[in-house]
Amino acid sequence: MKMFKTLATSALALSFALQAQAADVPDDVTLAEDQTYTFWLLDAIKSMDPQINTDVEGSDVLRNLFEGLYNENGNGELVPGVALDHEVSEDGKTYTFNLREDAKWSSGEPVTAQDFVYAWRRLANPATASEYAWYMELMQVENASAVVAGEMEPDQLGVTAVDEHTLEVRITNPLPYFPQMLVHASTFPVPQSVIEANGDDWTDVGTLVGNGAYTLTTHQLGERVVMDKNDTYWDSENTVIEQLTALTINDVNQALTRYLAGELDRVDIPAGQYPRLKEEYPDQAVSTPYNCSYIYMLNVGEKGPEALKDVRVRKALAYAIDRDIIVDRILQGGQRGAYNWTHWAIADFERPELDWADDMDQAQRVERAKELMAEAGYGPDNPLDLTLQYNTSEDHKKIAIAASQMLKQINVNVTLDNYEWKIHTDRMQNQDFDMARYAWCGDYNEASTYLDLMTSYSGHNNGEFFNDAYDQVMQDSKTAEDPLPLYQEAETILAEEMPIIPIYHYANVDMISDDIAGLPENNVNNTWYGKDIYRVAE
Amino acid sequence: MITYALKRLAIAVPTLLLLIVISFLLMHSAPGGPFTSERELPPEVLANLNAKYGLDQPLWRQIATYVWSIVSDFDFGPSFVYKDRSVNEIIAQGFPITLTYGLLSFAVAVVVGVSLGVAAAIRHNSALDYIAVGVSIGAQVLPNFVMAPILVLVFTLWLGWLPGGGWQGPEYWIMPVIALSTSFMASIARITRSSMLEVLTSNHIRTARAKGLPERRVILRHALKPAMLPVISYLGPAFVAMITGSVVVDIYFSTGGIGKAFVDSALNRDYAVMMGVTILIGALTIFFNLMVDLLYGWIDPKIRY
Repeated sequence: MKMFKTLATSALALSFALQAQAADVPDDVTLAEDQTYTFWLLDAIKSMDPQINTDVEGSDVLRNLFEGLYNENGNGELVPGVALDHEVSEDGKTYTFNLREDAKWSSGEPVTAQDFVYAWRRLANPATASEYAWYMELMQVENASAVVAGEMEPDQLGVTAVDEHTLEVRITNPLPYFPQMLVHASTFPVPQSVIEANGDDWTDVGTLVGNGAYTLTTHQLGERVVMDKNDTYWDSENTVIEQLTALTINDVNQALTRYLAGELDRVDIPAGQYPRLKEEYPDQAVSTPYNCSYIYMLNVGEKGPEALKDVRVRKALAYAIDRDIIVDRILQGGQRGAYNWTHWAIADFERPELDWADDMDQAQRVERAKELMAEAGYGPDNPLDLTLQYNTSEDHKKIAIAASQMLKQINVNVTLDNYEWKIHTDRMQNQDFDMARYAWCGDYNEASTYLDLMTSYSGHNNGEFFNDAYDQVMQDSKTAEDPLPLYQEAETILAEEMPIIPIYHYANVDMISDDIAGLPENNVNNTWYGKDIYRVAE
Repeated sequence: MITYALKRLAIAVPTLLLLIVISFLLMHSAPGGPFTSERELPPEVLANLNAKYGLDQPLWRQIATYVWSIVSDFDFGPSFVYKDRSVNEIIAQGFPITLTYGLLSFAVAVVVGVSLGVAAAIRHNSALDYIAVGVSIGAQVLPNFVMAPILVLVFTLWLGWLPGGGWQGPEYWIMPVIALSTSFMASIARITRSSMLEVLTSNHIRTARAKGLPERRVILRHALKPAMLPVISYLGPAFVAMITGSVVVDIYFSTGGIGKAFVDSALNRDYAVMMGVTILIGALTIFFNLMVDLLYGWIDPKIRY
């Protein structure tokens, strides 16, 4: 098979970012005596097992205890992890990764290609019963679906250790963003011997063996996690922070109070408090784009209301909502009003020109919405009744109340339905809703992580928007040299059909101690690594 | 009395069984399941999960297997959400924490509450009485979810005396105990005061005073014991409520206790943890109600079993 070094973005990023790994301390910086970093967790860590974990917070911990093929730097570009680089076959379906020889487990054993093979098979294996088994399918690894369904043995999965330090992966379709997907914690290697010897207890303190820059020293469920620097890590020489501590604080405001009391180095800022804190602590309050979009999903399927099958009504609903009020008056944390689905900060993505976003101001949109409603047969004497369902949260409630007021002016009477999380989700998945709050956080930094969701064959398209043209565009994008025009076409179809009402694009709104450096500033996934951080002397 | 106690314990077994069956059915009738998430799982993934946790079995068999593993191995199963841990491990880690701040809060609430109530009753209609009543009503109307953030604001942020949360040593116990004990303390004070006032006007106290006994002895020896009856009937359930934790304390002080785990398990549909904690609370409630009833017999000789 003819191989060639890939010239895709990943390879460029790799060569570019080679020197930017580990803590990149400028020469004129004096480091503080105390090299510890304390961060905040909203909830207890559900699992320390890379193939079992499903949470963003769990991933934050796992990225420090384990290391996958690639890491991300502060700009969201790939940098070498256990893999130094890779080659892609001409048909784009075979990836060969060259692994570093100095990677070690915290037990001192070398990390080999076989460890990745074991971990990936384990993720797909029905016996593991991982909730993230679908990630192997999303990565399109050969035979993943059949293995997950129990129709093939795990060893038939398309991943092979060619030798100790060469890993070969076969995928069924070329995926330009395949390397980006390898940053995900579910693809991290795990130590086979430790898991086989300890079963489900292998993640206990003292038993857990990882290959990350830190090792687990304390895990008090729902209270704290402490990780100490791992001296067997291949780049431990350049790792500055000696100890990472994660404190679980279930209340956002309480976390902020404790941050202000000096107990933490980083916490989220509760909605609405960013302007005040930015004024009071300009060096500590920061807002950066975050890879999630907030929408109201419309039920356009069979079980949905008749009115929502009319595209004029759907557009009117979208036009009538004033996003500036939601982001500037309610959230106030640097979020951006959304007129499309894909987050604006996604790499290599640019929103297409959309008439309702670019050519109209809010007053014109409301005017247009009223016209559309009138055309569809609704007016002051014949208002439209719809329900808007959201899951329990102060912020969702505020936004829903504002939206219902805004929709009133175009003669839509909105009934607000508040459900706890599980019921909300269950109802959405059973198409038991008119309009429902929904948020999607991208799995990787590429537009398809959003746009694939609206295809008819996506498992998450709860509003049942089925559009052949859209499906075709998304399928074509998989093999396109430059997928951007196709992504833009997909967004244009969404704007014309309006199966979802975009509300806003998320931002990470944080308080960060002013002596902490090395946290990502321009990474939409906010993928951070303890090894990149350092504390500057005051 | 021993026969009575044994009889009550014998009734406890079917009571617990009924509790298990009803909770089990209620829990499974709630919409959504432990694996319902924003990202709907592909059917093959969901099937693997259901198979692993036995959720593909008929409900009667799930209940039977569950009860049997408790009876035979004292095994409450694996958590469906905290997948690295079993329910036994979760309770073993969280319950001692809850028990610690619960017992301390109970002690504080009883000592302060009873003293305050007795003092108010003895000095009825005096300044002391008004202060005691004022304090206890104030403490009663200040809910702990309001008090907890205020405590942290004052003692952690402003004064810097105490850590704002966590569970690493005695200095971490103080604020949870204050937050949890205050409203119980207030109730105990009010119950003690009114009960004491009633007892102090009764005939046997007048007799004791007429005998010329010192007031101290009248109060401690003759008044306090009968005045404690309504307090004790309040203390039984209050004690269980305190040692099985408070979700507010756990959330605001990040103790890692069992109260938060219980509420989370309901929201997460973590069937196993929810059942485990329900059984724990059920068993403790049954046991301490029995203790209260036995204490009655000891305090009031008129009560015979």
